[in-house]
Amino acid sequence: MKMPREILLGRHQAAVPKLDALRQEMVTELNSKGTKVESEKINLASWCLGALDKIWVELVWSSRHIWAGLAAVWVLLLVVNLSLRDYTEMPIAKAPTPAEMMTFQQQQELLAELIGQDEPSVAEPQKTYVPRPSSWRPFEIMNT
Amino acid sequence: MPAMAESEHLPVQQAREGDSSAWDTLFRRYQLPLYVYVFELVRHEQTSLDLVQESLIAAAKHIGRLREDEKFGGWLFGIAHQKCILHWRKKGGKELLLEEIPDSPDESQDSPDDWLIRREQEAEFMNLLQQLPLPQRSVLLLHFVEDFSLEEIARITETQTGTVKSRLHYAKKSLRKLWEAKNENAA
Repeated sequence: MKMPREILLGRHQAAVPKLDALRQEMVTELNSKGTKVESEKINLASWCLGALDKIWVELVWSSRHIWAGLAAVWVLLLVVNLSLRDYTEMPIAKAPTPAEMMTFQQQQELLAELIGQDEPSVAEPQKTYVPRPSSWRPFEIMNT
Repeated sequence: MPAMAESEHLPVQQAREGDSSAWDTLFRRYQLPLYVYVFELVRHEQTSLDLVQESLIAAAKHIGRLREDEKFGGWLFGIAHQKCILHWRKKGGKELLLEEIPDSPDESQDSPDDWLIRREQEAEFMNLLQQLPLPQRSVLLLHFVEDFSLEEIARITETQTGTVKSRLHYAKKSLRKLWEAKNENAA
C-alpha cells in the first residue's frame, strides 16, 4: 500500500537525472556568479590602484622637472619675501630723553598761551548721582 | 510520511547569503515534488522541465523577498504555480485555475495518509487524478505532494482559504467517487 505522494513521486522518477543535470547547471552558474562578484570587487580595487598609479606616472612623474622647478620658484619667492619684509614700521618703545621732555613741556606752555588757558575758569559743579526708586520716573516724565 | 517544509531545517539563510551548496540542498529537496506538481498540471515533459528551471532561477534571484525561511517550500511552489499560469496565458488559454466552486460544508480534513493505494491501483489513481478539473487537481496535488495546509495552498494559488477548502473537498469527493465507481466496475 502506498500513499499518493509516494505514487506521484515514484511515477516521475525517470525525470530525476534530467532534474539533477538542471540542478548542477544552476548551482554551477550560481557559484560562478558568486566568484564573479568577488572577482568584480578585486577588479574594482585593482582598478583604483591602477588609476592612482597612472595619475602618479602621467601627471607627476613624467613632469617631475617642471614640478621641481615650480617648487624651487616657490621656495625662492618665500625666501625673498621674508628677507624683504620691512621691520622699521614696527613700534619701538623707548623712554623719552630729558631734552625731549623739555621740548614737550615748552610746546605745551606755548599751546596754553595761544588758547588762553592761563585765565582761571569757573568749573561747573559736578552732578552727583543719587539713585532713586524706579516708581519715581513716571512722575518725573509727567512733570517734564 | 510526506516531508513537510515546516518541520525541516532548510539552509535558506545560507542560500540567501549566496552559499551555492545551500542552493544545491534546496534544489535537491524540491526538484522532484516541484516537477511532479508542474507536470501534472501542464502534462508536457520539456515544458515542465523548463518551468521548474525557471522557478528555481526565480527563487535564487528573489530569495531576498522571502520573509519567513520556513515557508520556503510554499513560496517556491507559488513561483511555479505562477509560471504555469503565465505558460497558459502565453498559449492563449483561459484562466484554468480560477474556476470558482461553491463553498463546501464544514467537514473535518483528512490527511494524505488516508489515501492508501495498492500497487496495482497506482495507474488507475493517476488516471483518475487527470480527470479532475485543473483547480481541484492543483490543490489536491499540493495537498498530496507536500501536505501543505489550506492557508499555504491559498497563498500558493493566490486564492481565498475558503475557496481552497471547497476545491479540496470537491476534489477528494470526486476522486473517491471515481475510485469507487472503478472498483465497483472491476468487481
